[in-house]
Amino acid sequence: MTVTEDAPAAAPASSELTAPAPAAPGLALILGSGDHKVVGRLWILAAFVHLALAGAAAIWVAVLRVDAQQLASDTPDFFAQAFTFRSIAGAFLFLLPLTVGVATVVIPLQVGAATIAFPRAAAAAAWTYLLGGGLVVSAYAIDGGALGDDTDGVRLFTLAFLLVLVALVVAWICIGTTVIALRPPGMSLRRVPLFAWSSLVAATVWVLNLSVLSGVVLIAYIDLRYGGPSGFIGGGAASLYTRISWMFGQPAVYAFAIPVLGFIASVVPVFSGTRHVQHRLAMVLIGAYGALAVGAWAMPAFGSDATPWLYEAPWVAASFAIVVPFLGLLGLWALTARQGTPKLASPLLYAAVSGVMLLVGLLAGALQAIEPITTLVDGDGASLYGTTVTTSVASYVVLAAVIAGLGGLVYWAPKVIGRSVTETGARLVALLLLAGTVLWSFPDLISGLLGQPAVPGTVTTDNVDAIKALNTVSVIGGIVLALAAVAFLALFVAALRSRDEPGDDPWSGHTLEWATSSPPPVGNFPCLPVIESEAPLYDARHQLEEATA
Amino acid sequence: MATAVASPLVTAPRPLPRRPRVLFTGAAFGAAASALLVLTTLAVYLQLRADALASGATHLADDFLLPLTPGGMGMVTLSMSLVSVSWAVWALRRDDRPHAYLALGLTLLLGVAFVNSTVYLYQQLSLPLTGSATGGLLYIVTGSHLVMVVVGLVFIMVMGFQSLGGQLTGRDAEGMSAAALYWYVTVAVYTAIYYGIYITK
Repeated sequence: MTVTEDAPAAAPASSELTAPAPAAPGLALILGSGDHKVVGRLWILAAFVHLALAGAAAIWVAVLRVDAQQLASDTPDFFAQAFTFRSIAGAFLFLLPLTVGVATVVIPLQVGAATIAFPRAAAAAAWTYLLGGGLVVSAYAIDGGALGDDTDGVRLFTLAFLLVLVALVVAWICIGTTVIALRPPGMSLRRVPLFAWSSLVAATVWVLNLSVLSGVVLIAYIDLRYGGPSGFIGGGAASLYTRISWMFGQPAVYAFAIPVLGFIASVVPVFSGTRHVQHRLAMVLIGAYGALAVGAWAMPAFGSDATPWLYEAPWVAASFAIVVPFLGLLGLWALTARQGTPKLASPLLYAAVSGVMLLVGLLAGALQAIEPITTLVDGDGASLYGTTVTTSVASYVVLAAVIAGLGGLVYWAPKVIGRSVTETGARLVALLLLAGTVLWSFPDLISGLLGQPAVPGTVTTDNVDAIKALNTVSVIGGIVLALAAVAFLALFVAALRSRDEPGDDPWSGHTLEWATSSPPPVGNFPCLPVIESEAPLYDARHQLEEATA
Repeated sequence: MATAVASPLVTAPRPLPRRPRVLFTGAAFGAAASALLVLTTLAVYLQLRADALASGATHLADDFLLPLTPGGMGMVTLSMSLVSVSWAVWALRRDDRPHAYLALGLTLLLGVAFVNSTVYLYQQLSLPLTGSATGGLLYIVTGSHLVMVVVGLVFIMVMGFQSLGGQLTGRDAEGMSAAALYWYVTVAVYTAIYYGIYITK
C-alpha cells in the first residue's frame, strides 16, 4: 500500500496546459510572440497604416469625381488604380484586419481562454498579411494592381492579394476555433458573450466568402500568368476588379458588419446596467444575419450572362430579409435599455452611431432591390444597381463597421493598450464619424437616384449640376472622416503616453475580459470566476450586493 | 516523521481534463475553406463548359475525348482510402497500434497512388494549358484538388508520426480524427469533380 506524507500535486487546469510561456523582451516580443494580445496589436497597427493610404486614395478619387465631364475628357494617370485601391485596401487591408485585430485581442479574454487557438498560426497569419499588404501596395506603386497597365504589376497584385486572403482566412479560423473549443467549464455555447458569438458567425461567413474569392483570384492569376494581359479564361487584367468587387455589393458586403452586432450587443447591457434581454434570441438573430450575408452566389459570373441573379427572387429576398434580424436586434437593445438606466458613455455612442448607419445601409440596400424604382433621368430610367446607390449602400455598411471597430478599440482600450482614452475626445470623434459618414454616403444615395454611375468618369447628361453639388458634399464628408481618423489616432497616442491606469474593470463590464488586469498578463487569467450565465461578472456583482445587503 | 496511509480518494491525482477539440475544429474550418476554393474553380469550369456547349462549340479541344478510366481509378482509390483512414481512427481509439499503423500506411499508399494516377493523366492528356478556357480550368480544378490531397497526406503523416510517438492514443486520438475529417472532405470534393468533369464531360 502506498504511504505518503502529502498528496501529490493536482493535475494542472486546462488553462495552464495551454498557456504560452512568458514572452521574450524587446524586439523578440513582437517578432517571436504567439501571445494573442501582441498579434492582435500587430493587426491593428498595420491596419491603420493601410488606412492612411486607402483614405488618401478615396479622397483623391472623390475630388476628381466632382466634375464627371472633366474627368471623362482628361482622366489622370493612376485614376483607375486609385479607384480600385481605395475599395480593396479599405476593405481587405484596413477594415477586415482591424476587425481581426480587435477580435484576436478580445475573444480569448471574453471566452476565458489562456490563449488563442493555434497561436503560431495566428502569428503567421499576421505576418503573412503584413507581407501581402506590402506587396499589394508595391504592385500599385509600379502601375499594377486591379486595372493597372503593367502586366507584371497586375500579376504581383494578384498573388499578393491571394496572400492577404489566405492570411485573413487563417486568422478567422483561429478566432472561430477559440470560441468553439477553448471555452472554460461552465461556458456552454449558449452562454458565449454576444461579441464572441458574432465573431464566430463572422469567422464562418468569412471563411466561406474569402475561400470563394480566393478560388476566383487563383483563376485570375493563372489567366494572367499564362494568357497574357487579355487572359484566356476570364477576360484578363481588364476584368480583374470585377472578379473582386462583388464583395462590395449586397449581400456579401453585409458580412463586414457582423461584428457590429456583437459590439452593440456587448455595450448596450453594460451601459444600461442590466442583462441583455433574450440573449439566446439575440444569438439566433445574429446567426440569421450572418447566414443572409453569405454572398458568394451573387458574384459576376464568368459566362455570357454576368449577373444572372440580379433582381431575381433570391437576391431581392435576401436584400429584404436581412433587415428583419437587424430590426429584431434593435428591438432587443431597446428593451434592454428600457429595463436599465442607460448611461451615454463613449462606447454606447459609437454603438448607437454604427447601429443607425447600418440600418440606413440595409434600408438603402432594400430600396435598391426594388426593380421598379429607377433613376430619375429624362426618358427611361435605368435600374439603381450600378449607380452610386450601390456605392452608398457599401459606404454605409462599411463605415458602420469601421465606427464599431473604432468603438471597440475605445471600449476595450484597457485590454488592448493598457490605458483608457479620454471620454470627451472619444465622444467628439464619434460625432465627427457620424457627420463624416452621413456627408460621405448620403449624397451618393441621392446622386445615384439622379443617375450618377458607380464608376466615375462617365458623363451623365441629366442633373449634372445637382450631381456636382452632391459630389462636393461627399468630398467634405471625406475630409471630416479623415479628421476623425487623425483625431482618433491622436487620442490613442495621448492615452499611450498617459500614466493613468484604467483599472481592471473601468466600465463595470459583464463578461470575462474584465476579470483580469489591464493589460492582461501572459496566460490571461490567474483564476476564473464561476460561470453560470452569459454575464458572469454581472452575476458576481449582484451576489456580492445581495450578500452585503 | 508522521506517516499516514492515504486514501486513494485523496491521493489519486485529478484526471487530466479532456483534451479540447481544438485541432478537430480547426481542421473542420480548414477543410471547408479548401473545399470551397476547389469547388469554386469547378463551378467556373462547369459554367464555361455549359456556355461553350450551348453555343455549339467543343469546349476542350477539337476531337479531344477526356478519358474516363484514370478519373474512375482515382475515385476507386480514394474510396478505398476512406475505409482505411476510418480503420486507423478506430484502431487508435482502441489503442490497437499495429492495426492503426497498418491502416495509416495503407491510407498513405492509396493517397500516393491517387497522386501518381493524376500525374499520369496529365502526361497522357496532351491538352495544352492555354488552348481553351475550360482546358486551362481542367488543370486548375484538378491541380488545386491535388494540392488538397497532398495537404491531407501530410496531415495524416504528421498525425501518424505523433501516434508512433504515443501522443495520439485512446481517447486522445483527436489529431487523427481531425486528419480523417480533412481526408473525408477531400474525397467528397473529388466525388464532385469526378461527376462534373469525368462523368458528364
